[in-house]
Amino acid sequence: MEQRQPKNYLVESILVTIFCCLPFGIAGIVFASQVNSKYASGDYEGAKKASEDAKKWMNWGLIAGIIVVVLYLVFLFALGGLAMLGGDF
Amino acid sequence: MKLKYIGMLLLAIVLAFLYFYINPSEVDFLPKCPLYLTTGVYCPGCGSQRATHQLLNFNIFGVFQQNALFVLGLLVIGYHFLISVFNYFFKKNKYNYIYHPKTPIALLIIIIVFWILRNIPHYPFNLLAPK
Repeated sequence: MEQRQPKNYLVESILVTIFCCLPFGIAGIVFASQVNSKYASGDYEGAKKASEDAKKWMNWGLIAGIIVVVLYLVFLFALGGLAMLGGDF
Repeated sequence: MKLKYIGMLLLAIVLAFLYFYINPSEVDFLPKCPLYLTTGVYCPGCGSQRATHQLLNFNIFGVFQQNALFVLGLLVIGYHFLISVFNYFFKKNKYNYIYHPKTPIALLIIIIVFWILRNIPHYPFNLLAPK
């Protein structure tokens, strides 16, 4: 019986690559390609597994992006605070 | 689940307003690319914030100038969105090339070649680097 192809997260991985976290985005694209090729060769279980991996990498990419932005804002406010206190740095 | 989508929509609207009014080339409080900041190497995504500003102001040439890959990304995402919406509303099953086995490989090769080329500091490759 023909099964539906699992979601490959290619579009999400491209977004991650362009907007923040290159390594996670590239890993996501690699797994997306595995989803497609395994599904095409009839390996539904493997495709499902690769789909879960792709999702995992996309989520890590999102989390890493949020961490970078938060750290950056903390750093910015810390520097701003120091400047207001008149510190030399 | 619904709350998540509403939150994402609100965030998108706030970010759209932010990047419409603020030109990232002129201010220095927006996050910079961690790779560029630490190594001085452009990543394939460098210039995306500036490209977003240009796009929201309908300056397509400016988008190309900042990050040509951004345009390709937009085309891919737009294509996926259109096909999905079409299939959903017309109950059709039009083939989506996002699911073709060769598509992700081709995109990966394009991204890596683009990454290498934009870091070559000579004409014409430096046209690919963000301004």
